[in-house]
Amino acid sequence: MSVEPRRSAPPRPSAPSRLRYTLTQLGVLAIILICIVVIDARWDRLLDLPALSITYGQLMIGGVVQNPFVEPNLTYWGDALRLMVESLQIAWVGTVIGAVLSFPIAFIAASTVAPRWAVFLTRQILNILRAIPELVLAIAIMLPIFGLGPLAGALAIGVGSVGTLGKLTAEAIESVPRGPGEALTAAGASTLQKLRWAVVPQILPEVIAFWLYRFEINIRASAILGVLGAGGIGSLLAQVFERRDWDRIGITLVVIIVVTIIVDQISAAVRHRVISGAPALSAKALV
Amino acid sequence: MTTVVERPVSPARPPRPRTRPSTYIAIVVVVAITVWAGAGISFDLSPLWTDWGRGWFIIQEFLAPNWSFIGRTISPFLDTLAIAVIATAVGCAIGLGMAMLASRVTMSNAFVYRAAKIFLSIVRSLPDVGYGLLFVALVGVGTLAGVLALIMFNIGIIAKLTSETIDAIDRGPLEAAAASGARPAQTAQFAVVPQILPNYLSYSLYVFELNIRASVVLGIVGAGGIGSTLSVEFARFNYSNVSAIIVLLFIVVFSIDLLSQWLRRRLM
Repeated sequence: MSVEPRRSAPPRPSAPSRLRYTLTQLGVLAIILICIVVIDARWDRLLDLPALSITYGQLMIGGVVQNPFVEPNLTYWGDALRLMVESLQIAWVGTVIGAVLSFPIAFIAASTVAPRWAVFLTRQILNILRAIPELVLAIAIMLPIFGLGPLAGALAIGVGSVGTLGKLTAEAIESVPRGPGEALTAAGASTLQKLRWAVVPQILPEVIAFWLYRFEINIRASAILGVLGAGGIGSLLAQVFERRDWDRIGITLVVIIVVTIIVDQISAAVRHRVISGAPALSAKALV
Repeated sequence: MTTVVERPVSPARPPRPRTRPSTYIAIVVVVAITVWAGAGISFDLSPLWTDWGRGWFIIQEFLAPNWSFIGRTISPFLDTLAIAVIATAVGCAIGLGMAMLASRVTMSNAFVYRAAKIFLSIVRSLPDVGYGLLFVALVGVGTLAGVLALIMFNIGIIAKLTSETIDAIDRGPLEAAAASGARPAQTAQFAVVPQILPNYLSYSLYVFELNIRASVVLGIVGAGGIGSTLSVEFARFNYSNVSAIIVLLFIVVFSIDLLSQWLRRRLM
């Protein structure tokens, strides 16, 4: 007599160890806690923050809702707008400088085009440019030579943009499909002709998108540079904050926010159009 | 009599595609904007050769960094690191929540979705120094202002990048969660977060890199860290000290970039 052994369910796979995961989490948490304790941040001042933000927030909103067509508000709104436009001009000129300089450099930094030593050298230069914040570039090199003013800001932004734009463009060049290049080789094209007719058309939409994206970043950077005296809205911002002139601070912030959002939207729409081509006739409205 | 060999006729050359008029219009617009902007800031490169001497004097000072000064920069550098760590942790945590609200996939309520999107555009449109000035005015000069300013700056970046990642996730796990009756929070935890986690962590590291750089700028408006030291030395025209700080800053930024790139490669 044999007893039919009971069919037991196959053993459940054991849960994968979460030890490393948990340890990593604890480690990160410990680092954060150490930082909170070590830093001399006077955390008690956080308690006053809500009350202060409400008081000063009201003052700022008060400045914005004042009738803007009465002097001296009219002059002030006008000044803020004019300086914001100057910031946009700085950002645009900086982006153009960055685009014009980075485009040829990117070909030297692309491993599919240039010899290895040239690629290595160019990459290092681009890395260094990316590591310097625009601000340091501005105060260290541009302001002494070009003096206080928007020109120094535009040049600092331009040189600062070369680092990122060069890197992104070089990566775009490296990832280009080889087909068109091979076709041109077969037809007996020179290296320069191959770059012109096989590489540039393939990377151009992507690269233009990078330029526009950089322009959006540069708008914020140019507002920052003004704080140092390199022109634009930042100079006004530093002034009104120094005087704690809360209603004007409110007006300046509104101008910065609104203009930045509008330009961002336009730039994003153009970027979208460049990347995905002309909208088809049956295309749905923008979601 | 010889037979005439028929010469093969080469096929007609394809017509050259015409450049579309919109391309010309775009070029004209770009050139016009550039001319207008250049005139607006009175663009002129001549100082490069006329005023080179003034710059050269300062650059020479820069080329002789005062290494003995480095000892006194260690504490502000640690401050900068701590500011960056705390701001990244808090900013990225809030940013993840905002990203969930600002993606169609996780937020079905159209009103909340729109509101979150608008809120994020507003947060993003103010540069870091704007927040720096604001918080220095609110809580006073010091590292706390720097932490708060960077938190706001980080929320904007993280929420934008993460919500775009959420928009692109695979819907399958979401449907599975919905089919088994998960609440929105559970869907987020079990169907969304595992899919976006590598990207999200990689963005957080990227933001950490940005924070080290940004905290230099913030220090100049009084938000603590190495930037404050930098601006003090700069105001005193101690260019050789400034250049020692910049060299050290280079090394710090570079090593953090390398570390973070290595971590990001492991994540992705």
